Parts: sequence; C-alpha cells; structure tokens
Amino acid sequence: MQNLEVISVNLWQILISLCNLLILFLILKKFLYKPVRKLLKKRQDELDRQYSSAENDRKSAMEMKSEWENKLSAADEEADDIIKTAGANAERRAASIISGAKDEADAIVKQARADAALEKEKAEKDIRHEIASVSVLLSEKLLEREINESDHKALIDSFIDEVGTGNGEGS
Amino acid sequence: MSRRFKAVDILLIILTLLPLAAGIVLKIVMMPAGEGIEIAGAHIFFTIGMPLQDLPITESQVNSWLVIISVFWLCLYITHGLKTKAVTRRQHIAEWIIEKTESLVKDNMGEYFSGFAPFIAAVMALSGFSSLLTLIGLYPPTSDMNVVGGWALLVFILITYYKFKCGPLHYLKSFTEPVVFLTPLNVISEVATPVSMAFRHYGNILSGSVISVLVAAALQGLSSMLLGNLPGILGEIPFLQIGLPAVLSIYFDIFSGLLQAFIFAMLTMLYVSGAFPADDYKKRHKNKNGGKIKCLNSQ
Repeated sequence: MQNLEVISVNLWQILISLCNLLILFLILKKFLYKPVRKLLKKRQDELDRQYSSAENDRKSAMEMKSEWENKLSAADEEADDIIKTAGANAERRAASIISGAKDEADAIVKQARADAALEKEKAEKDIRHEIASVSVLLSEKLLEREINESDHKALIDSFIDEVGTGNGEGS
Repeated sequence: MSRRFKAVDILLIILTLLPLAAGIVLKIVMMPAGEGIEIAGAHIFFTIGMPLQDLPITESQVNSWLVIISVFWLCLYITHGLKTKAVTRRQHIAEWIIEKTESLVKDNMGEYFSGFAPFIAAVMALSGFSSLLTLIGLYPPTSDMNVVGGWALLVFILITYYKFKCGPLHYLKSFTEPVVFLTPLNVISEVATPVSMAFRHYGNILSGSVISVLVAAALQGLSSMLLGNLPGILGEIPFLQIGLPAVLSIYFDIFSGLLQAFIFAMLTMLYVSGAFPADDYKKRHKNKNGGKIKCLNSQ
C-alpha cells in the first residue's frame, strides 16, 4: 500500500487541481448561473412589462374617468334643462286647465242660473195658477155660488199679477 | 406531469449521490483498514510516467473529481424545470445561491468583476464540499497540498494577469518601490501570496484531521488504561471515545472546512480586485495618458 508523503509537491497534480477548479467554474457558469440568470432576466422583463401595462391601464382609466365625468356633468345640465322645461310646460298646462275649468264652471253656473230662473218662472206660474184655482175655490165657498169661473179667474189673475209683480220686485 | 418531474428529481439526486457512494466503495475495495493510527498523505492508486515528475493518481485527485461530478448533477437538479413564478424550494435555493454570490462579489470586488461570481462560487463549492468529504469517511482533497496549491496557483495567475492588464511597465516598476534594493523582498512577497493561501487552507484541514486522529488515539489509550480491567468484552470497548471526537469533528470537519473555503474565496476576491483598480484603469484610458497616472495597488 502506497501513500503520498504528508507534505509533497507534485507539479502535475497541481496542474490537474488547477484544471479541476477551472472545470468546476465552467460547470457552474453553464449549468447553474446561465439558466438562473436567464430566468431572473425573464422575470425582470415580465415585471417591467406588467408595470408598463399597468401604467397604461391606469392612464386610460384616468382618461375614461375624466371623459365620464364630463359626460356626467353634461347629463346633469341636460337633466336640469329637461326638468325646467317640464316645469314650465306643466305650469302652462295647469294654467290652461285652470282657465278652461274656470270657463266651464262659469258656463255651468250661467246654465244653472238660467235653469234656476226658468224653474223659478215655471214655479211662479204654477203657484199663480194654484193660487188662482185656490182663490176661485175659496170665493166659491165664500159666495156659495158659482160665478162665471173664467171671468173670475181673469180678475184674480190680474190681481195676483199686481201682487206678484209687487212681491217680485220686492224679493 | 408532476410524476414525470418527480422521476427526474429522484434520478438526479441518485446521480448526485452516486459519486460519493463510488468513493466509499473505492476506499473499501482499494484500501485495507490500517493498523492503529497513521498519519499519511493520500493513497496512490497508480502512477503515470510523465516528463519532469511522475504523476501519481491519488485519492485526493479522484475525490475532487467525484466532488466535481456530484456538484454537476446537483446543479442540474436545482436548475431543471425553472419557472418565472418560483414554486419549488430548489428553485428558491438556486436563486438564493446566485443572488448571494453575486452580491458578495459585487460588494468585495466592485461592478467590474461581477463576472467573477461563478468562479467564487466554484472555489467555495469545491473547497467546502472537498472538506466535507471527511463526514462520509473519505480523504478530504483539501488536506493535500497539491490540490490547494493548484487553486492558489490559478488565483496567482489571475492576480498577475490583472496586474499586467493594469499596465505591464507599471507592474514591473512596482517591484522596485519604495527603493531599488528591496526588489528581492517584493518578488518574495509576490510569490508568497499563493503559497500562503495554499498553506493556510491545506494546513488548517490537515491539522484538523491530525488532531482528530491524535485525540481519538489518546482517548483509546486512556480508555484501555482506566477501564481495561472490566470483565470480558466491556474492557475492550473504548468508552472514553464517546463524545469528545464528535465535538472535535463538528469543529474541524464542518466549521473549519467551511470557514477555510470562505476565507479562500474572500482572499481570492480581495487579491484579484486589489490587483486591478478598475476605476483608476478606466480613468487612465479615458485620459489617454498612458502610465502617467499612478496605478494604485493594494499590494
């Protein structure tokens, strides 16, 4: 069994060891650092891309927001206009309805007054007629005899007319 | 879908562990258990005749190759099936390793040397895993001076390359500073850098295993002296070996090994970045002043 001396220098061994370190360096560079660096770069690119796209989204969102705000204020104005014109329309219509109603009511009242006057006239006529017949009856009863009814009636009518006109003017 | 990934996972884990198992098998087959305690270098499997010096293929060489193969499969294991949205723990680990080493290199060496991250990671992985091989009973390649010497030589080549890049004339002139007759000392201090790096690392790991062996042997002797009179088989069990060697192993095998890996990587970063002041170099080349402006070396 051969062993190396504890302290021994061998040129070729030193060179081999030097090459070993170089080989391990190349291995690490190619198989560990290259893929991981590539990955990190890819991740960084992805991150940058996401950031820029987020920034773009934010910008477009802000634009849309201002646009919508403009639209909203325009819509508010429009709504105010609409409400205003609607109020004016309503007032106008209400006025026209009210005036129409007033006219109608006046017409109704006039009609009613005319009807009432007609009714009154009719009633007066009836009452006059009634009174005349009652008077005839009373005078018949009073005189216990039959006078010429038509003469009598004419007489009473003229009397009642006198009374009626006097009363009518009074009421 | 997930079943397929699981099969790949298991395959890669097996491939990661296979070199280590092969190392253990090789050790059992090739090396009969020694008698008593022995402190020796790496076992020589065979020797190849080479000019200048024969090349013995030793345990430390083979074990570092096993570590490299193992790390290769480990890399494939933690990086296969990466996704932009991290979902698996191994992907988190992979990203953690890359981020930590890159930030470490950037902090210690500056932006110019950011490409050094895989090299520093390789130093740390090779040194750390080599030292940790003692945990599974294999010979740690880091306690062989030739192995660590090779790494230190590579670091020395890097240092010198960057010093030359900074300005060859300036580099040569720096040996004669502050006065001309100190040139031999400057040369020695230049050469001392890799030598001290190699000796520090190798000495720490080797001394750790030597101390572990000595303590274990001493405890065995003490145990047989104190408890040898116990009847039957009880007298032959070295009870005193329970406990203390485990604590020493945690210190020497795990803590010291990882610490030396870290120190070696830190020194590499400091020396290489110190050899090449990138800002100064840039300024000099912008001004087109040649070697007029002083190239500040930390050395």
